[in-house]
Amino acid sequence: MLWSRGIAVAALTAIATLSGLTLTHAQQKETARIAFLGPLTGGNSATGLGGRNSARLAVDSRNADPDRRYDYELVPLDDECLPNVGIQAATRAATDRSVVAGVTHFCSAVAIATVDVYNRFELPVVVWGAILPAITHGNDYPEVHRVNGSMLDESKVLVEFLTGLGYKRWAVIHDTTDYGTGYLAILREKLAGSDVEILSTFGVAADQQDFSAELLRVKEIDPQIVVFAGLTPLGVRVRSQMDRLGVRSQFAGISGIMSVSYHDALGSLSEGTISVHNSAPLETLPGGQMFVDEYAKAGFAEPPEPYGPYAFVATNLIIEAIEEVGANREAVRDWLNTVENRNSIAGPITFDEHGHNSVASTKYVAQDGRWVRWEDSLYAAGERMLSGR
Amino acid sequence: MAILLEYLFNGALLGVIYALVAVGFTLFFGVLDVIKFSHGDVLTLGAYSGLAAFVSLELLGLDLPVVSLIFVLVVAMLVTGLAGIAIGQFFVVPMRGSPAFNILLMTLMIGTAIHECIRLFVPGGANPKAFPTLLPRTPIEIGGAYIRLDSLLLLVLGIGVIVVTNWMVRHTKLGLAIRAVAQDGDTAQIMGIPFRRVVLATFALGSMLAGVAGVMNGLYYSEINFNVGVLLGVIGFSSAVVGGLGSIWGAIIGGFSFAALQTVWVLFFPEMSGYRDVFAFTTIIVLMTIWPTGIIAERYSERV
Amino acid sequence: MASENQWVIASALVASLFLSFGIARTKAGRDFAAILQNSGSWIVLLIPVAGLAIGLALHEEHFALMMLATVLIYALACIGLTIQFGYAGVINFAGIAFFGIGGYTAAVLGGMGLPSLLVLLAGGLVSAAIGCILILPVLRTKGHYAALITIAFVLLFRSFLEVNHTLGGPQGLRVESATIAGQSLFTGIRIGSFEASFYLNYVLLALVLLAIFFLMARFLEKSWIGINLDSMREDPVGAAVFGVNVAYWRIMSFVIGNVLIGIAGATFAMMQTFIAPSNFTFQQSLLMLAIVVLGGIGNLWAVIPAAILVVVVPEKLQAISEYRFLVFAILVVLVLRFRPNGLFPRSMRNFRKEVGQ
Repeated sequence: MLWSRGIAVAALTAIATLSGLTLTHAQQKETARIAFLGPLTGGNSATGLGGRNSARLAVDSRNADPDRRYDYELVPLDDECLPNVGIQAATRAATDRSVVAGVTHFCSAVAIATVDVYNRFELPVVVWGAILPAITHGNDYPEVHRVNGSMLDESKVLVEFLTGLGYKRWAVIHDTTDYGTGYLAILREKLAGSDVEILSTFGVAADQQDFSAELLRVKEIDPQIVVFAGLTPLGVRVRSQMDRLGVRSQFAGISGIMSVSYHDALGSLSEGTISVHNSAPLETLPGGQMFVDEYAKAGFAEPPEPYGPYAFVATNLIIEAIEEVGANREAVRDWLNTVENRNSIAGPITFDEHGHNSVASTKYVAQDGRWVRWEDSLYAAGERMLSGR
Repeated sequence: MAILLEYLFNGALLGVIYALVAVGFTLFFGVLDVIKFSHGDVLTLGAYSGLAAFVSLELLGLDLPVVSLIFVLVVAMLVTGLAGIAIGQFFVVPMRGSPAFNILLMTLMIGTAIHECIRLFVPGGANPKAFPTLLPRTPIEIGGAYIRLDSLLLLVLGIGVIVVTNWMVRHTKLGLAIRAVAQDGDTAQIMGIPFRRVVLATFALGSMLAGVAGVMNGLYYSEINFNVGVLLGVIGFSSAVVGGLGSIWGAIIGGFSFAALQTVWVLFFPEMSGYRDVFAFTTIIVLMTIWPTGIIAERYSERV
Repeated sequence: MASENQWVIASALVASLFLSFGIARTKAGRDFAAILQNSGSWIVLLIPVAGLAIGLALHEEHFALMMLATVLIYALACIGLTIQFGYAGVINFAGIAFFGIGGYTAAVLGGMGLPSLLVLLAGGLVSAAIGCILILPVLRTKGHYAALITIAFVLLFRSFLEVNHTLGGPQGLRVESATIAGQSLFTGIRIGSFEASFYLNYVLLALVLLAIFFLMARFLEKSWIGINLDSMREDPVGAAVFGVNVAYWRIMSFVIGNVLIGIAGATFAMMQTFIAPSNFTFQQSLLMLAIVVLGGIGNLWAVIPAAILVVVVPEKLQAISEYRFLVFAILVVLVLRFRPNGLFPRSMRNFRKEVGQ
């Protein structure tokens, strides 16, 4: 009995191995593997899946090109938006010599933790969604690049935007990862010398459920605006509990809250939330329409989310590098470091000496369950009013 | 003053949810001397089945506010009740002779299996899910305090369920049987009380309370996630233990005390509000060191 | 990664399950278990020898070596748990918290430039010291109540780390890699044409630690202390009647167990070079307990195959990697329900040989 099972298992193994072998021999081109890292499960998975789909789109469209030098394969890995899980996934990708480069991370807290891993194992990476400046500027690792701009770009626009609307008395709620605290520090810096007063700041854990304590305090202070520096799941809770407790201040979130799932979770409560994002509306990007059409044609289950285009750009950049210099980590790294004014669907990309690409941020407001560019919104037109002014 | 009232109100609402969970623990322990740690995850199951009930109503195109609330609650209670019976029938009752550690670990793992199933097999189960608004959100002012009507209704609902449970245990035939088994299972059996049936009925009753608590929790936070039951389970267990396992009133008092601990901490140390759970659990550990079987000590004669 | 043949691993899993039952059921299996159990201390050398052989065979595979080191580190921590409730019957659901205390100690002290071996030791001692807070509650309570205390502790530990800024908060902390005898464990060994991954260093470190503490736990089990522990676990009142100081031995086993878990945690943190509160969830604590229960409560040797099962299999078999908590939860439930002594039950004491002579 035991033996017959053993034989069956062995036979199955043999068949599986053989079919694997025949498959690899049928192809002529070498395969270059590109890792994608982002939150594929957990509260931020909407953005992560949008990024993965966009990266896959870049890979698939290149694989359809008969003149390519390599076959490309995307290796998606889940960082769960947790630093320790991210490190494990990064190690996994970086120690696998068949992976040539990586398109890495949406969550700043994870991206800042993993840069050492990429440097140690010499895996060139292009960040597609994390905006903490230190990811590129806090080190001089030649492996690390970023296409999607940083908090510096974003916070500049945010401060101008909010002060321009006349919000002078702020309360800031931020998560206590490097993302939230990093943003707070930059906000403080930008606001120094202005007439804006930060009345109080609240650091909250990234998985906190109940905010009644913080929000009742906010209610006592009564600021004009609550600025939230964190990611969507936390932002949803804060916004929904503000309503339950009757906090009537205006709500603004940094780009971390800007995803389609914000509206899905909040329903009508999302109306009027303002935000700023490094990605412009797709229609206004140079290659945006092409991206929208291709993405729709590929039939992905999830929307690309605002950062999708950057994941596409990052993946495409890596593919272009491999096409030019071959599937070699060192060569790809060096090629990426010389990128200057290279056309992409999100406009020209230039990596500075830190491997960082600066972008211009766009102002948004939530209107009827969608993120609408501020300038095109009913709010800017004066038809709807923000609160707290 | 108004703010103080708001703190008090929110604390009370948390207290009701905790008490509902704690009563379940107390009932199980009363009849069988076991801790069924999957209770918290049964609560999660209740919340998700409530959500599923709502979604299916929506698919049918039915949009009747009061009816859908009742339907959601009934489905949640049905599912959790059945889950309670199944866990009792197949795992807890056959194991009741084993060491406490084995039953504890086994029910913990059953709980893990439940919430992992939700995470893996519910579409998008790993992400927080928005819970529907089933109650009117009209704001009302009481003594200058801002309170939403739905919060008030939740409080009333929770207290109502607890009162009904207490009445059932005190004044119905089933309640009498439960109390008899709790006092002395063997004697109860001799007196012709079907032991296994009563135990399973108790499991169903306790688990249904968890179903209600799960829906309430979802309505209160407008959000549920697969992990919500783990912490609520431990809080419910702590409450039951502090109140003295086996006593319903103890469980209720325990539930409110736990919420009070959290609220008091936040009231006095608003800058360190994040430490509220640390404080609450530390207090529990200290209390248990002083009174190793709860403040109202576990007494065999006065179970349930 | 993806090219790894899932079928091979799946069949290996099936084979190893059959094998495990085989070992427990057949005469040859029992003989083998008896050899492991009854031979002199030299038999423990099997661990470093086998570990070294596997390590050398894989010397260039970073990821495989990391998994190997992780298995060894988890095995070390589980020996701590075995001493606590396998031998002494002290319930501890907070294993991962003490593991975490060791890790955070390594993060804080490692940054100060202390010698790494000292940091490892400190990891164990700090975790035992913090564990001492729990001694009184754990001693005074029994059964469910004791379990509640350790569960409450593991939850408050995580919650504390999340909100405490000085220890990195949810962002976590970077941990200095170990340096032993002036040699950073971050640089792989190079001898002539032999070039190894730096993870091999950690495999070696973990092997040494595991062998030492395995031997220690074995001595403990086989000595009069082990008999005291067994008797008080089975019947505390009876043991006390025969003069066993129950409270003392419960404290001792709790403390010793925590030292081991803490050292394991410190080693793990140094190897990962990064730790965050999400490493130390209640869920992880249950996974650790699953290793002990699946292997067979109280059986030291069983810890190693069980650790391989729990740590390596989900990593290798990507099809189940997402389902690992579910799979192991169900496995533990089934084992507790139908085979409460585990896959490799602890064998009976052979008093004639050990004590009689």
